Amino acid sequence: MDNLLLKKGRLAIVLMIVLVALFPASAKAVVDGIYGETLGISTTFNLTVKGGTISMSDGTVSYLWGYADGNGPAQYPGPTLIINQGNNVTVNLTNQIPTISGNPQTSVSIVFPGHGVTATGGVPGLLTREASPGQTVTYTFTASQPGTYTYFSGTQPELQVEMGLFGAIVVVPATAPDCPALAPDPVAPSRGYAYCHPDAYFDREYLFLLSEVDPVVHRLVEQGKMSHVDMTSRHPTAWFINGRNMPDTMAMANASWLPNQPYDSMPMMHPGEMVLMRIVGGGGNLHPLHTHGQNHLVIARDARLLRSAGSATVDLAVSDYTTTSVPGQTVDAIWGPWTGEKLGWDVYGHTGTEPGICVPGPVPPTTIDANGFDINTFEYCPDHGKPIPVKIPAQSLMQFGAMYGGTPYLGVQGDLPPAHVQQNPMGGFSYMWHSHNERELTSNNIFIPGGMATMALVLPYYDMDGNPIQIP
Amino acid sequence: MRRDLWYLTLLALGLFFLFSGGTSEAAVYTQCPCYLLDANGNPDPSQLDPAKGAVYNPATGNVECSYTDALGPHEVVCKSLSAGDGHVYMADRDRTGADPTIGDTYVFGFSDVTGVANDEVMMVGMLATNISAPTIHLKEGQEFYLSLTNVGMIERPDLFDPHTVHYHGFANAAPIFDGEPMASGGINMGSTFTYYYNNVEPGTYMYHCHVEASEHMQMGMLGNLYVRPAQDDDDAAKALGNPAYTGFAYNDCAIPGDPLCGTTGYHVAYSLQETGMDPKFHHADGSYNPLDFASMDDKYLLFNGRGYPDTVDLNPIANIYGHNSQNTNALITATQGQKILLRISSLSTTDFFTVTLLGMKMRVVGQGARLLSDPYTTSSITLGGGEGVDVIIDTTGVASGTYFLYTTNLNHLANNGEDFGGMMTEIVIN
Repeated sequence: MDNLLLKKGRLAIVLMIVLVALFPASAKAVVDGIYGETLGISTTFNLTVKGGTISMSDGTVSYLWGYADGNGPAQYPGPTLIINQGNNVTVNLTNQIPTISGNPQTSVSIVFPGHGVTATGGVPGLLTREASPGQTVTYTFTASQPGTYTYFSGTQPELQVEMGLFGAIVVVPATAPDCPALAPDPVAPSRGYAYCHPDAYFDREYLFLLSEVDPVVHRLVEQGKMSHVDMTSRHPTAWFINGRNMPDTMAMANASWLPNQPYDSMPMMHPGEMVLMRIVGGGGNLHPLHTHGQNHLVIARDARLLRSAGSATVDLAVSDYTTTSVPGQTVDAIWGPWTGEKLGWDVYGHTGTEPGICVPGPVPPTTIDANGFDINTFEYCPDHGKPIPVKIPAQSLMQFGAMYGGTPYLGVQGDLPPAHVQQNPMGGFSYMWHSHNERELTSNNIFIPGGMATMALVLPYYDMDGNPIQIP
Repeated sequence: MRRDLWYLTLLALGLFFLFSGGTSEAAVYTQCPCYLLDANGNPDPSQLDPAKGAVYNPATGNVECSYTDALGPHEVVCKSLSAGDGHVYMADRDRTGADPTIGDTYVFGFSDVTGVANDEVMMVGMLATNISAPTIHLKEGQEFYLSLTNVGMIERPDLFDPHTVHYHGFANAAPIFDGEPMASGGINMGSTFTYYYNNVEPGTYMYHCHVEASEHMQMGMLGNLYVRPAQDDDDAAKALGNPAYTGFAYNDCAIPGDPLCGTTGYHVAYSLQETGMDPKFHHADGSYNPLDFASMDDKYLLFNGRGYPDTVDLNPIANIYGHNSQNTNALITATQGQKILLRISSLSTTDFFTVTLLGMKMRVVGQGARLLSDPYTTSSITLGGGEGVDVIIDTTGVASGTYFLYTTNLNHLANNGEDFGGMMTEIVIN
């Protein structure tokens, strides 16, 4: 496992963490995606279906049909469309699927669950109008309600979605006057909101678009043997988050060696921050998505808040450690906040004598909030200075993972045995977020670990030298 | 295939001498404040500290003690587990004993070695795997010291796998005690890692080894874990039941006037964990063959590590070596009028399962180790791996008799080739 990580992921992750320090503090974390061309309240996307290659973490590749942004490369998954609430959306879809000798000509299309769509151009299809090879079809709809949506092929979808024709849509809630009830979060005014409701405040947002690949299907299509494909015997052997397997999920976005898989999946946050998880079932199977470290609160399903009619709060929200992602369904959940509170020991490894931490006073100016947190460091002060209650065995008695910071403490990086890979130079607390159908932690029969998993990373507010740590 | 016991014993002894050779590098080292210290100043699991009121509680299998130090008062429970390999019988076994190989299954797993002296843990723990893993019973407010000793995979001496415990769902987990090996570390053979958990969130959790999880979890390193709420000490809340409740799933009366107050009260409580085993995978692992993750397909579907009718057998089940390797049953019994709490979790590595109950309704009152703000009544519960719910069954007016709780994924109502077994158990109302 370590060897493969060393080859494939080390540089990328180190780069990513170096980047953390370079981004300005004001940068607001949003999911990667495209915004189209906006004129007034009209937004236009030009998507093209093209061929490409899915690179998997066992080292193999699969043939791809992907939606591309205009003249860009095919993407697995398709570009995430980011739209402002209320905008009139036009999606022009052009069919540039490669012609492979032996296969029939293939039309393509898109359906947009949750939106009222008008289709024009192209040719009539069963579910919607389609683009024949070389043609363009146009879909228009109004993005009336904010939230997380998905789009995918409406033409022979059992095959075309497997081949890669699916993506996510984020409709960003409008500002006042369409969101009049929502004032900035009094606790943290910089927070965004996923819906026009105070229960949907978040500090950072990440996409979890889950999918699977059965390489046999892709091979038959690539070889011009589409007539041999039998989707009833589909048997996926590789599992993806945002189009990548672990550990590629942790490599940086737009990595040059993954030209058709631009989206990463590496949530990073500070203690106390609310992390919005936009979970989309993009494949054909259910997946139980488990978040290590803390429960998440499921606040919305299919872009609608979970609340009873007339309720002032999201009263049907459910806190859980594992949430089922269903094909074609979207779920919004708020992870955390992870606070480190009440663990019974000081997770920062403090002895209690550090100046200005959890000791109210003018120099440096520190106060402790009503919940017991130091407002500067977000340390839980009732546990400040308490030693870890057990002895950790000598390093020779253990095997460590690449995301172990080297000590039990948050933000305290320590040395690991010689030749040991370490990809967590700031000593963050790392948590695997993954499919809990553990069979899906493999990529085409290789346990790397691979498959549908990534590592979230909680970074402290300050590094060991007292400098602020910025997260992009 | 039956293995040569002498060969195994030799291997076991070899490992034992390798790791008990007295080097300070590799050693069983149990940490628990309830134990007296030995001559070297290390906690000795065979000596309880009377000054802290330390006792072994047979109801929970935990050592318990309490004391006050500079940091304040402590309520401590300790448990020791070994992690290694072993064998179990699936429910299609030959009950006449004529062919002991039928249903014999090679597994990885945990075994309870609480109270075993440090220098005996290796010998006691080797090949002593239990399926399910020993249930971990905790209570809100308790500090939990869990010592995990890796006793090695005796039938796979080519493996050098570390092991961990992942306390699945623990709030605000710190990676060092989370057991996920990429973010922390696993303990090597012959050595002990002690996990520490301050339990402040009651609820239904689960635990499992997280090392090479696709393999170790399919191989059986899975168990029940729950934390009882502080409200169990609240006599006024208990009096809401008729007769008085014996406990609650959650602190449902924490908010004054909350209509949920009392909704998680129960008279008897049981844990049911849905798991499965793929006999081809287990055979491959036990015979040094490549592992087929892509085709992993459970043919034995289990509650608490047993298929029906073994689920309702109150006796331990001895494995091919005569060791009692399945000590957790899944029989549920209650007296008419009682409320039953079922803590249902899934640690399947392959599938979602739906279970149904005939003759009674289930009320789901908790999910994901949290009180559910909108409880609902249902006849079916669907769980994927790593999901758990709390269910209250009211037996008021239910005629005495035997009722069946089973999966409606009916092709999984089987013990491999044997039909009408698998993921099924009984609720007996007296």
